[in-house]
Formats: sequence, structure tokens, C-alpha cells
Amino acid sequence: MSPLDLVFQYWPAIGAGILGALVPRGDASTKQRAGLGLIAALTTLFVIWLWPTEGGAQAAQAAEAAGEWPHLLNLLIALPIVGAAAVLFIPRQMLSVLRGFTYLVLGIGFVASLWLLTVPMTAGWHFQYIKDWMPSLGIRYHVAIDGISLWLVLLTTFVTPIAAYASFGSIKTRIKEFCFALLLLQGGMIGAFLALDLFLFYVFWELMLVPMFMMIGVWGGADRVKAAIKFFLYTMAGSVLMLAAIIYLVWTHQKLTGDFTFDYLALSRVVLSKNAQIICFWAFSLAFFIKVPMWPVHTWLPDAHVQAPTGGSVILAAVMLKLGTYAYMRFSMGLFPGPASNLSANLAGVAILGGILYGALVAWKQRDVKRLVAYSSVAHLGFVMLGLFSATPTGMQGAVLQMVNHGVSTGALFLLVGVIYDRRHTREVDEFGGLAKVMPIYAVVFLIVTFASVGVPGTNGFVGEFLVIMGTFLSERLGKFAGIHTVGAAAGVILAAVYMLYVVQKMFFGPLTNPKNKHLPDLTVRESLALAPLVLMIFVIGFFPSIFLDRMKESILLQHNQYKVVSGQAILFADERDAKLLPEDTFSPAFLKGMPKKEKPAEPPAGAEGSQAALGGEGKVAQ
Amino acid sequence: MEALKAQFPATNFTLLAVVLALPLIGAFVNGVFGKRLGKAGVRLMALSALGGSFIAALATFLLLPKGEGGGTLAWTAWRWFSLNGRMGQTIPIDVAFSVDAMSATMMLVVTGVGFLIHLYSSEYMIKDPGYHRFFAYLNLFCFAMLTLVMADNMAVLFVGWEGVGLCSYLLIGFWFGEEKNATAGKKAFIVNRIGDFGLLVAMAILLYYTGSLRFAEINANARNLLDPVTIWPFGNLPIESQWDAANPSANALYKAIVHLFLPEKGIQVYASTLVGLAMFLGAAGKSAQIPLYVWLPDAMAGPTPVSALIHAATMVTAGVYLVARTSAVFLMSPAAMATVAVLGCATAIFAASIGLFQHDLKKVLAYSTVSQLGFMFIGVGVGAFAAGFFHVFTHAFFKACLFLGAGSVIHAMHARIHDTDKSQDIRNMGGLKKYMPITRWTFLLSCFAIAGAPPLAGFWSKDEILWRAFSTKIVAPEVGRLEPLWTWPSWLGQTIYWVGVVAATMTAFYMFRAYFLTFHGEFRGWKVVAGWKEPKHAHGHDDHGHDDHHDHHDDGTPLEGPKPHESPLAMTLPLMVLAAFAVFAGFLMAEPIHFEPLGHILAPVFTRAHDAVVLRGEGVEKLMWPMMGPGVAAFLAGTGAAMVVYLNKGGAPEEAFKKAAPGLYKLIYDKWRIDELYDAVVVGMVDALADIFTTADKWLIDGVLAKLTAAIVAFFGTVLRTFQTGRVQVYGAAMAIGLAGVGFFLVRPHADATVDDSKLRSAGEVVISAAPGPGYEYRWEGTGTEQKDFGPLREVRINVNPGETKDVKLHVRNAFAQEATHSFAITRPGRGFPSSAAPVPVVPGGVVPAGGGSIPAKDIPGLINPRGAQ
Repeated sequence: MSPLDLVFQYWPAIGAGILGALVPRGDASTKQRAGLGLIAALTTLFVIWLWPTEGGAQAAQAAEAAGEWPHLLNLLIALPIVGAAAVLFIPRQMLSVLRGFTYLVLGIGFVASLWLLTVPMTAGWHFQYIKDWMPSLGIRYHVAIDGISLWLVLLTTFVTPIAAYASFGSIKTRIKEFCFALLLLQGGMIGAFLALDLFLFYVFWELMLVPMFMMIGVWGGADRVKAAIKFFLYTMAGSVLMLAAIIYLVWTHQKLTGDFTFDYLALSRVVLSKNAQIICFWAFSLAFFIKVPMWPVHTWLPDAHVQAPTGGSVILAAVMLKLGTYAYMRFSMGLFPGPASNLSANLAGVAILGGILYGALVAWKQRDVKRLVAYSSVAHLGFVMLGLFSATPTGMQGAVLQMVNHGVSTGALFLLVGVIYDRRHTREVDEFGGLAKVMPIYAVVFLIVTFASVGVPGTNGFVGEFLVIMGTFLSERLGKFAGIHTVGAAAGVILAAVYMLYVVQKMFFGPLTNPKNKHLPDLTVRESLALAPLVLMIFVIGFFPSIFLDRMKESILLQHNQYKVVSGQAILFADERDAKLLPEDTFSPAFLKGMPKKEKPAEPPAGAEGSQAALGGEGKVAQ
Repeated sequence: MEALKAQFPATNFTLLAVVLALPLIGAFVNGVFGKRLGKAGVRLMALSALGGSFIAALATFLLLPKGEGGGTLAWTAWRWFSLNGRMGQTIPIDVAFSVDAMSATMMLVVTGVGFLIHLYSSEYMIKDPGYHRFFAYLNLFCFAMLTLVMADNMAVLFVGWEGVGLCSYLLIGFWFGEEKNATAGKKAFIVNRIGDFGLLVAMAILLYYTGSLRFAEINANARNLLDPVTIWPFGNLPIESQWDAANPSANALYKAIVHLFLPEKGIQVYASTLVGLAMFLGAAGKSAQIPLYVWLPDAMAGPTPVSALIHAATMVTAGVYLVARTSAVFLMSPAAMATVAVLGCATAIFAASIGLFQHDLKKVLAYSTVSQLGFMFIGVGVGAFAAGFFHVFTHAFFKACLFLGAGSVIHAMHARIHDTDKSQDIRNMGGLKKYMPITRWTFLLSCFAIAGAPPLAGFWSKDEILWRAFSTKIVAPEVGRLEPLWTWPSWLGQTIYWVGVVAATMTAFYMFRAYFLTFHGEFRGWKVVAGWKEPKHAHGHDDHGHDDHHDHHDDGTPLEGPKPHESPLAMTLPLMVLAAFAVFAGFLMAEPIHFEPLGHILAPVFTRAHDAVVLRGEGVEKLMWPMMGPGVAAFLAGTGAAMVVYLNKGGAPEEAFKKAAPGLYKLIYDKWRIDELYDAVVVGMVDALADIFTTADKWLIDGVLAKLTAAIVAFFGTVLRTFQTGRVQVYGAAMAIGLAGVGFFLVRPHADATVDDSKLRSAGEVVISAAPGPGYEYRWEGTGTEQKDFGPLREVRINVNPGETKDVKLHVRNAFAQEATHSFAITRPGRGFPSSAAPVPVVPGGVVPAGGGSIPAKDIPGLINPRGAQ
């Protein structure tokens, strides 16, 4: 292929690159032009590359034949963690080396994660890697990716570098520690998205708490320590319950089969007894609901966000909250489909009333912009949770897409709030007004992101919300409540406009009265380069969502069908007192690929016979 | 032509891409590069974008397949996304466009009128520093509006629908430096969003029942919507009888209260009615109908060309377009159609009444727009979709002309009065015909058109709507054995007709009032100095509308200042073109004289309406000419009255009315205070709710979950801390007390035992093991082998026959010769009689270590009892 062919083939990308370079006005620096051009060209290239083509099947086969490098996921997880350790050996005075090293590690991570897209995401696990870790307890290092975690991993590798880039503009102290925390956080988050062993998952789940705790506590605002402790305790309270439930589940599995395993796939087969199911479901889900956060365990979020530094807020909102929703989808719905299904109408009610409507109304009344955005997250994640509770393929696709959307647009919003905070050191809306006159570009970007957050069609927010709302109405799981839930969720779009436009008007429109605002500089090069990819992604997802939806569709369908079947079985066969094991053929073989092999044929453990006799219920003992 | 047809096949009609792309490119270029291009460049870009788009739209219109069934031109851009329907089927949502006669006509209006308004604005806005921004928004608006009218499915329509709302928001708040404008923009967007909420719900229902969002398929499968839906009680709420059955012992008061809320029988409506109502909510939001009209008058805060393009000619008619587009759905529900017609009718007369006494020229036009939109909704509501759409078409011309004329006047007034409100106040105008003849004549012609003077455009379209309302009825679709649909009472159509006539009279009156006050008489603006400012002294907000500037310059002597002048050609040319259309466009669909080319083109779009909308009775069609009389009379009466009051008597009767009924006058002037009502009720309620939630969030939720938990933990910490004094004496005392307690425990004997009944059922054998203790000796009673004295036997084995109960007594004596007793009753159920007793406590053999003995049997049942692999 000659260079000319490349030009002809990729003319949209080249055009976009030139256009991007032309966007900044006259006196812009070369760096800004080159940066924006590059971002525009790469984004276009991304769209072209992922565009669904006619010959998709052939390409898929070709890619399948090429195989999956089993260590890719290990690389994604280990690179930042090893990088974090390596940062410790770099002298703290060498700021540019520290920053450069962090960029390098995150950059390699991002490029490596793009590799994930080359594989057609058929149902089941990809890039699976399994290694025994503590064989005596059945703990394995088991990581794999599917169409659901794919986008969340990509979101992580995409947003973290941006957050890092933006942070280095405003954070001037303890750079070394910051780099360390950031890289460790990245490793923890990716690990949690990829882990399929409950023990491993728990390790990553807790691991990422620590750097975030540091970020809030060290580089945060005035009340940072309190907020950090609140954040930590809330999340921890949920996690320990989850740990207890994990152990109970593993123990039960051991009772049933004689094997210890923490493997998610193997444990999916366990149907606990009725009460135990519900208790374990809540133990898991509470941990996830706190993370999401769902009403009424959401109050840590505004405090954490307000105190966290910009970069921390971006990662917290864009990625960490998604761990709650993702984990609910994967583990609560996967391991305890019975209670998840039975409770879904009620939980959907909580998601709508407590999340979408309540979150929006409370957001409206906030006077601190960052707090407002934090509450808007509660509302947006209400949509995500609603999509999951509806348990239709449409709703679940919408939920996963909305997770990505929220990451992009709320991440951008936090960056934007950080911009004004860096200039004025306040975030009170009453301090502002008429900013559109002095900071026009900032105002335009803010407006675009606002409309993405409000869910105007053409931006990413719309597609996700639309799918969720449609999925809600089509849901069988919500039964008679589907209609009223749809109305409630759709009403949320009104309130979203109310609170977002309120803050836009207060900040940007009206007369410029406050003298402190009269000479604020517009977006700097760094800020505009950090925001550009997010803004472009808003439109990419808004206009070409099928790029994303196609790659998650099969995994979602698999998960949906499995949920449907297993929840039915779990409800039907759950015993008052006994745990049971579903036969393997209940599940798709694609799902069970990689399940721990049995060492010996399944024999009931020693005590089982005696207890069965007692189960007959004829014996009566009275004291 | 043939070459074009070959180039653009009907199923892949890429010319539509050109129509859409040009305004979009214009918006992008003007928005991003506008400042560098300079005003001339911006103007060139904007005008050429719209001009090119118009030419492409014209070609599209001409290439439209003609013939019996009509035809569409379609172009699919790409697969947007797809979702799964009720049956799990995949429903693709494409970015697809299709154009039939109705959308092609709308495209011409949007691009044609749009082009004229762009041309006009290029002069009107020339002094504005945000010139490029203005044209970027305006081009973007045209793109969104074209998307709306060309959309092939509701999702793409929704893109345009919200897109125009977004542009409207940006343009109303174009001069965002003033809080008022920004607030008006926000209000418009939020009220529109209430409508969008309805549209979203409608889409969900349509998707569920018809399995598609494409208009073609929705209309084809509309009959699926004839499915009863219980709307109350929703969810799991019971009906009265169910509740009574579930709560037989509820007391009478409680029962009465519950019965207030629960119906005797579930209330069912047809899904088609739900869709219709939800869709109408959307349409009412966009098209400013009751109850969502409040945003449109405020929207006049935007530049006048914006009011002409968005808030008169195009965007606000989107609701009518939507109803016409989904006519098949509405025809499935006469109740929904009645709602549309009645609310349209109510809006027509209500808005007209507000228009009567407004002083702001643009406000008069705004209420007139609301009122005319009401007429359009009457049209589509009574099933005259073509007539309603025709009114959209004619209204676009004369209302755009009126707004642009008003803009021209305001432009002229601005030369003298640099105050937005004052320059739009018709009390400051008058006699302008001398200074701006072209504006005056075009304005006059458009006034005639809107007032319904035959044979101008407005006459034909309004008359057609009223005639249809009078003469037709809607046949409800057959539903078989289900409950029949609600049908229109016979008086409804006629009532709508007569109310419409009254509204038309008012229209004529207020339009000519505005005309006479603006262009006739003496110029009253002399009294107002250039750069006049609102008096700063304390002035009640309410009454400054009436008598404010009279207390300044009461002498009425002219002050020096620039004179009003006619606008330049770029502004007058659009006026003349639009006025020409306002005069002649009516002949495109003049039913009474059987000349209706547009009607013929549109007919295939509304074929379904032919069967469902029929004449009310025999011989009604003969009344067509006579029933034109009241319409003409309305025009004559309204115009005549306005002429007498404002031309001949110089407005004295209005003053007299104001004095005679000040309350009513003020009420009308204050728009019946509906805004205040909404503020107090809806906004106030939401606001209060938000306040309550915010407080609850801070004090209740955070208070209980975080603060209270922390307080409890802290409390225990404090209490426990008091024990950690660090003084050896205290620890010593604690140790002494502890030892005493342990000693007491050891001195007392404890007759505990573990019962292993795992073999009770099979062999009738029970093993009882007593707990060990210091120096314990045991004596068993009832074990079969009698034991006289205490011995070391800790464990006994007992055999029980089926159906037998054995009482076993355990005596324990410890080293201190204290004794304790414990008795057990062991029952083995009989063969034929399985135990029916309540849950039997079970000791799982594998769980508790045998002989561990410290867990009493009754504490164990919660534990799991696995059965082994299955």
C-alpha cells in the first residue's frame, strides 16, 4: 500500500486532523494546534477502524485465527502496579521524569487496551488467563474480559491519562506520591473489572480504595480528611459484608462439591437456600449500592467529590462508581439471580425515586457546582441501575453504554469545574455570572458537556437514556410496574434540564457583575487538550453508538439469557434450608469456559447422609 | 430531470444528504471559524448554505414520485443503534430519512422561508458583535428542523425535535448578558422538555405495541394499539374488592379512606389513547398549546428574525407536523383527537384574548402565533390533517412576514430608542407608514391574510379548518368484543366551529389594532429621547405598564433625535416575497373553488383519514358556502371594530374599557396570570419538594447513616474508654469481680446435655451426652436401666418405639455436692402418622462435632444442611 493509498483511505481522519489544527484562533501555540489536530484525527481513525463493515464475519474469523495473547490482561493490570512501584525509586525532585514516566505507563496501557478491540467480542470470555494462586483454598488468579467489561476497561485506560494530564496542571505538591497513587489506582480498577475470582476481585476492590483515600486525603480541599474517612468507611462497611458473603458462598460450595473454589463461574452454579440467598444478595449488593451510589447510601459521594482534587474526582466519577454498577451486573445478578429478579421492581423504584428524581431535585438546590455535579451522578447512575433492574437486553445495553457515557460527560464536567476552581478558588455559583463573555470557549465546552449530561440527542447521554427508558417499558421483570417506572424515568429528563441549565445560566449568562471575574483567562492549552478527547467522544458515542453496542451485544445477550434462565431456576428450586447446585448444562459452555476442573468425581461429603436423614422431618426433639 | 432521477434512485436518495449537510457545514464553519471569516464571510457562508439547501430541497420536491399511492424518497445514512422488542426481535433504529409530500413541503418552507430570514438577518444583525454566533445557531437550527421533518423514524425525529429546542434555547438567550433573556431561554427549554417527556413515553409505548419506531410501520401497525391498559390502580395496588378481601377486619373509617383512593373497577384506556395523549403533550410543548404555551411569549426575548423563523414559521409547527405524521395512531383514538381539538380550540381563543391588549408588538404577534397554532391543532384534531397542515404552510408566510415587518419597525425605532422594551412598545409608535412604506404595505397584506380576508392565504386555510370541524365526524375503529372506544358527541364539532369563529374575530381585531397603532396616526416616539432610560424612582412593578413614561415629557413636544427610516433592501426584499406568498399561497388548496394542487399532493399521505373521517350527516356538504359566511363576518367585524376604535377614535374606547373594568383589563393584560399560577403551583411545588429533599438529605439520611452511626460508635467508645483508666487498682478490682463470677459459675452445677437424634427415625435410637464439669457425677432416670446413685456415666443410649414418648431425667451433682436436674421428652413419631408438628429442630450431623455438647439443639436450625452433590 503506497502512502497515497493511505491518504485516500483515511482522508476523513486527515481532514479531521487539519480541521482540529485550525480550530484554535490566531495566536494559539503550535502545541495546541498539533494536539487538537492529533486528537481529532485519532478519534476519526477510531471511528473508521471500528465501523461495522460488510465483511465483518471474515474479519472476525481472521482475528479469531490470530488468537488472543493471553498475557494482555496481565499486562494491563500489572503495568500500572509495577509502574507504581517503580515510581518509588524515582527521586522526588525529578518532576518531569515522574510525570513523563506516568504518562508513559498510562499511555502504554491505553494503546495496549486498544488491542482488546481487535478481537470480535463473541459471547463468553476472552483473553482469559488462569493461574493457581492458593490452591489449597481454591483461589486462582483468573482474569478475563467480555463485551461488558471491555468498555469499562477502555473507559479506565482512556480517562485516567486525561485525569493525570489535567492534574499535573493544578497539583504542584507531592508529585511523586500522586503518580504512585494514580498508577496504583489504575491497576486496582482494571483488576477489579477483569477479575473473575471472587477473592481476586475482593483484593482489587479493596486495593483501589487506598490510593483514592490518599488522593482525597492528601490533595483535597479544606475538609479533606473527614471526607476521605467518610469515603473509606462507607465503602469498607459494604465490602466487609461482601467478604462475609463470599466466604459463606465458598463454604457452601465446598459443602456441596467438596472443593474449595472462589471462582465466579463455579460459584454461579450454587443456589443457596431461600434466606441465605437473600442475605447474601444484600451483602453483595449493599457493597455495590454504596459504590454506585444508590439512595440512601449516597451521601459519601458529594462530600468525597467536593473535597477531592480534580483528577481524583474525575476518576472517582468516571470509573470508580462504575465498579458498583458493573459489579452488581456481574456478581449480584450472576450469583443471586433469584433475589435480584424478585426484588427488581422494588429496586427499580428506589433507583427512580431515590436516584433519578431525588438526586436531580437535590442537585438543583446545591450552590456548590461540584456538589451539584456529584448529585447529578446520583441521578445518572439511577438510570444505569434502572437499566440493570429492568433486565432486558435493551435496558442492559443502555445501562452499560450509560456507564461509559457518564464516565465521559461527568468526567468532563469535573474537569470543567476544576478549571474554574483553579482560577477563582471557589465553586459557589453565586460567585459567578456572565462568564461567557470573558471565557467564551470555556462556556461553549461547558454547554456541550451540559447538553450531553442532559441527554440531548446527538450526544452520548441520549442514546443511553433512551435505551434504558425503552428497556424499562419492555421489561417483563418489572411486571405491572414497567409503565409507571417508565414515566418516572422519563420525568427525570425534565429535571436534568432544570438543574443543569440552572447552573449554566448562573455561571455563564446574565451580566458580569463580580469584579473578580472580569479578567479570567480562557481555557489554557493543557485544559483544552485534556477536554478535547472527552468532547469528541461525546459526539462519537452520540452519533455512532453501534460501534460500542455491537461489541457488547453478544455478551449482554448471554448474560441476559443466563439471568433469565438461572433466576427462574433459582426461584423454582430454592429450598427453605438446603443449598443446591445447578447442573452445568444450565449455563452456556461459553460462560463456563475456564471453570476449575474437578479433581475427583463429585461425591457427597461424609456428613451428608446423616443430615439427609434428619431432613426428613420425622424426628422431633423437645426439651 | 430524468438524469437527476437516475442519479438519485428513490430508495437511496442521497440528495437529502446535501439538504441536511449544507446547513450543518454552515453552522460548523460559522461557529468555529466565524470570527476569523469576518462578517462578509459569515454572511456568504450562511446564505449559500441555506440557498444551496433550498435548491436541493426544490429538486427533491420536483423529483417526488407522483401517482396514486404517492411516494417517498428515502436515504439511510447509517445504523444508529438497535434494540430488542417485546418478543426479543431486533428493532433497528437507523439514521434514516424519507420524504413524502408533506415533508417535502415542509422542507421547502424551512429552507425557503429560512433563506429569506437569513437574508433579512444578515442586515438586521449587522451591528451585533455575535454575528457569527448568530448565524451558526441559525444554520444549526435549519439543520435540526430539516432533520425533524425528514426523519424516517421517531428517534431521528426526536434528534431534530430536541435539536430545534436547543437552538431555540441558544437563540432566545442570544443576548445572554441580560438575565431576562437567559431566563426566557431556560424556560423555553424546560417547558419543551416537559413535552419531550411525553414524546419519550409515547415512543416507549409505540415500540412496545407496534414493534417499530418507523413512521411507515407505526402507521401500518397502528391497530395493535387497540389494547386496553389498566392505568389505575397501577402496579400492585388492589381494586376495592380485592382490598376488602385482603383486609377483612379493617375498621370502617380506614376502609372508607382507602376506598376513596381505590376504584371499584380498574380504569382501563386503550393504548392508542395513551400514545395519543403522550404525543400531544410533546406536541403541546413544542407548539405552545395549553397547558404548555407559557414559554412562547417569553421567547420573544430573542432577536426578531429568530422569532420569525423559529417561533412563528417553523419550529412551533413541529407539533402539528408530528400529529399529522402519526395520524394513523391518532385515528385509533377519538378521545385523543378530541383532546387535541378541544385544547387547540381553547388555546386559539385563550391566546387571542390575551393578544387583545398587549402593548409589545412582538408579544401581540407571539400570542397571535399561539392562537393560530391552536387553529392548526383544531384542524389535525378533527381529522382534517391536510387542512391543518395547510394552515402551517400559509401561516409560515404571513406570520414570518409580520414578524419581519415588526423587526423592521423595531430596527427603525432603534435608531431613536435604544431600549429593547420601549422600542417594541406600540404606544411609542404610530404614523410609521410615512417613513417605511414597504414595511407598512407588506404588514398590511399579512394582516389581511391572518385576519382571514378572502381570498388571501389565511382565509382559505382557516376556513378549511373550521369547515371541517363543522362538517365531519370521526368514526371510531372497530374493536370487536372489547369495550367500544369513546366517540365524539355530536355537538363537539359545531362548538369548536363557533368558538373558532369568535377566536378569528379577535384575531382580526388585535392584528388590526396593532397595525393601526403602529402605522397610522401620529408618531408618538417623538416624546421618547434617544437613550431614554427607565425612571429609577420607586415605582410599583405592576403599574409601570400603564402609566410609566407619561410622567416624563408630558408636554408631548417632539424631542430632537433621529427619525425612523425604511430598512435596507436586504430586509425589505424578504418582506415583499413573503407578502406575495401571504396573498397567493391560499390558492394552493382552495377547496371551495376546487383548485387544490397541494391538497392532491398531500392526499396520499393521509389516506387512512379518508375512511375514519366522514361527513357528519346527509346534506352537510351543501352548507360549505353558507358556512363561509361566519368566517368572513368574523374578519369584517374584527377589522371594522379595530378600525373604529384605533383609526377613527384614536384608541379612546380602549381607555374607556380600561377605566370601566380595570380588573378585567389588567387580568387580560397580565395574561390571565397563568404564569403566576404555574409559578405558585407547579414550580412552587417542585421547588418545595427539592427543598425538603435537600434538607432531608443533609439531616435525615446523612444524619442517620453517617452522623448517628458515628455517634453510636463514639458513644460506645466513650463508655468503654472509661474502663481503660490505666490504674492497677481498677484492673485488680475488675479481676477480682471476674474471678468471683467464674467461681460462682463453677460452684453451681449445670445439667446440660446434647441430644443426638440422627438415628431416631430409622432405629429409634437416641444418644444423650451430658456436658462435663468439675467433679460431675450423673444419675439418669427413665433410661430403662434404673440407676440409684450418681455415677460417672455421661452418655446414655435410649431406644424408643414408634409412637412412643420417653421422659428422661438427668441429675447432676458436682464436687461441691450441689445438684441440678434437667429432663428431656423424646418422641418417635408413629409409622402411619408423619409428624405434623411445627419445624423440628435439627442437629446436622456433619456440622456440630459429636459430643461437643455446648450448642443447644434449638439454636442450630438456621445452619445450612447440605445434601451433597446432585
